[in-house]
Amino acid sequence: MDSPDVESGRPAKRDEPVSTDPEAARKASVPRQRRPPAQEQTSGAPADPAPAAAPAEAPDERVWHAGRLEPMPIRKLPKAPPSIHILGPTVFLVALGVGMGESYMWPRLVLVFGPEIRWLFLIGVTLQAVVMLEMARYAMATGESIFFGAARVFKPLMWFFFITAIAVYIWPGHLSAGASAFERVTGIPWQATAVAGMLLVGVVFTLAKVVYNLLENVLSICIGLLVVGTAVVAAMVGSFADLSSTVTGMFAFGYLPQEALSPAWFPIIVGSIAFAGPSGMQQMWYTLHLRDKGAGMGAHIPQVRGLRHAGEQEEMPSRGFMFDTSDSGEMGKWKGWRRWVAFDALLLFWGITMLVTISFTVLAQASARLDPGVTEVIRDGERDAALDAMAGAFSAAGSPVLGTVFFLFIALIGLNATLGLFDSFSRGQADMTYHFVPGAKRFSVSKLYAFFLWGLILFGIGVLLFGPADGPAAILDVLAFLSTFAMGAYCVVLLLVNNLTLPKPIRPGIVSNALIAFAAVFYLGALFYSLFAFGVVVS
Amino acid sequence: MGARTAAPAGGALHYAEAALPGAAIGLVAGSFGAVTAVLAGLGAGLTGAIAVGMGAPLALLGGVYGVLVGRGVIAPGAIGPTALFWVVGFPAARLAEEAFVAAAVGHGAVLREPLPWFLLFQAMLSLGFAIGFLWLHERLAPRWFRRIASHSPVAAGLAAHYGPPPGRTRRS
Repeated sequence: MDSPDVESGRPAKRDEPVSTDPEAARKASVPRQRRPPAQEQTSGAPADPAPAAAPAEAPDERVWHAGRLEPMPIRKLPKAPPSIHILGPTVFLVALGVGMGESYMWPRLVLVFGPEIRWLFLIGVTLQAVVMLEMARYAMATGESIFFGAARVFKPLMWFFFITAIAVYIWPGHLSAGASAFERVTGIPWQATAVAGMLLVGVVFTLAKVVYNLLENVLSICIGLLVVGTAVVAAMVGSFADLSSTVTGMFAFGYLPQEALSPAWFPIIVGSIAFAGPSGMQQMWYTLHLRDKGAGMGAHIPQVRGLRHAGEQEEMPSRGFMFDTSDSGEMGKWKGWRRWVAFDALLLFWGITMLVTISFTVLAQASARLDPGVTEVIRDGERDAALDAMAGAFSAAGSPVLGTVFFLFIALIGLNATLGLFDSFSRGQADMTYHFVPGAKRFSVSKLYAFFLWGLILFGIGVLLFGPADGPAAILDVLAFLSTFAMGAYCVVLLLVNNLTLPKPIRPGIVSNALIAFAAVFYLGALFYSLFAFGVVVS
Repeated sequence: MGARTAAPAGGALHYAEAALPGAAIGLVAGSFGAVTAVLAGLGAGLTGAIAVGMGAPLALLGGVYGVLVGRGVIAPGAIGPTALFWVVGFPAARLAEEAFVAAAVGHGAVLREPLPWFLLFQAMLSLGFAIGFLWLHERLAPRWFRRIASHSPVAAGLAAHYGPPPGRTRRS
């Protein structure tokens, strides 16, 4: 370590093994869930922490001081796996991120302003890929969530996100798009689908032995089918002209027609850029998924179990861990982890988000070609009517199957987002509650997770049956404001956390810092410009 | 990720077993439209034509991909060779599907646009298909290889390459 902040002599805490036997120390420092069976210990499992020489925690152990909270003990960094063999936590970002923005908002902007407007989408998704890399930097280096990192800098920052998450994500309106699409195909009222879906999600997550493993498997299959399916359908209905204009439009940098700067469209365009890929707090939750995957120092933290298996939940350490950045071997492994996450960010996240959007834009262009009236409906901005019109255009062209497929894709996107959102919200709130609400540690993390999960489900069902699904009309603008503000705020938090709490050798470089700073200025600047110039919150 | 240097020994049956995940993914991808054709109320003839025309070539190519992975020609999980494979295979499968459906429903014209543009369009979209295919294959195939590893040297070699299941939990 390069910093004088690394100290020794701190007494071991109760969750830390005190042993001089290296093997016993290794087992005790790695959660049982992550220990491979005996016959697999030398086979190089991708997510194996493989801390072959994890040092015994002794009274003279070294620690890394980060902020005012408890220092992080030094532990071995596990070896990074080969890239694509762990199709890891990115699946959550893709599931959450590929939503209405990709399947509806951007195809709509293309039909209104032409494919050249897509250069703004390129900027938005690329910024999010950089944010993803920087979120991963802290989570993989410490095994802590970005919420914990924010608390290390200034605890009220973390409480802001805790409250914002409840205010923004407790409303079940996000279920309506997917459930409505399912209603178009099956005739089942969307409220019934939404309530049944929420209960199913709750039961499945409650019964799961390890929630993360179950969800990653389900979402991976769903996303894989979505990508393969949209490619096949776009190949069947699109044309070379549709695709080439969509792709070349991404590089029409600077194209901005006068109408795009009007009060009617500017907030929509800014909102579409901000919500290109993951929006709101989704990137912050990604740090928790990285940890549960065992990425980097997350290997030293136990996974969250379903409520049915809460009795087996291992005790969560009261803070994360740091590796020895002065050790060249450890830094070599760190570079391996950075390569792994860069592959995840660039190919899987950036690439798949782009591909799905391109496929949907090709579909929208094909539908407009089949029925020019679709453009007018889409321009009017009524989401359900526009989706109906796009599906109708395919049906009218003699391929009713494609209209149905289109709705099934929307339903699949809604299902992915719902699964990801319910888990992410509960995971984030449980993490903050466990570490920072006095007395919460007497409950296990799995019980806190279940508390927030079922609280969200029961509140959602109540609102769906008796209240406004998107939230009370009087606070809709406040919620939209908070969602975008949180994105600017997490960029600022990222800058502070990564530059103040990490050891120098693993801090972000000038380019990464500049891009994150640009993102912060962009999100916050556009939000306030839209508010003051047009009196409208981005949407 | 490390490319495998030597093809494991194994008979045709073992390679056929290793081909199953890819073939299944190809079949599902190809018949994606056909499953919902039933919901959309299309006639059985057209539904069947779509299912066979698209499902059969993609299943066949998905199986060939599995054999190439089993023989060590394509490194498991490698995106580059997979993309190259599908940049040829996907347009070919689409061309076969267009011809088959046109013949089945008695249409004279097979393609809506000139052949070069059609093939170029399909080749560009094949990248998306390749990533989705690889994503699913990497998720499903390792489980299958581990399951049949006891009697198939081809699967055993591939299972060893993938290692034990990630994130595996152990009963206490």
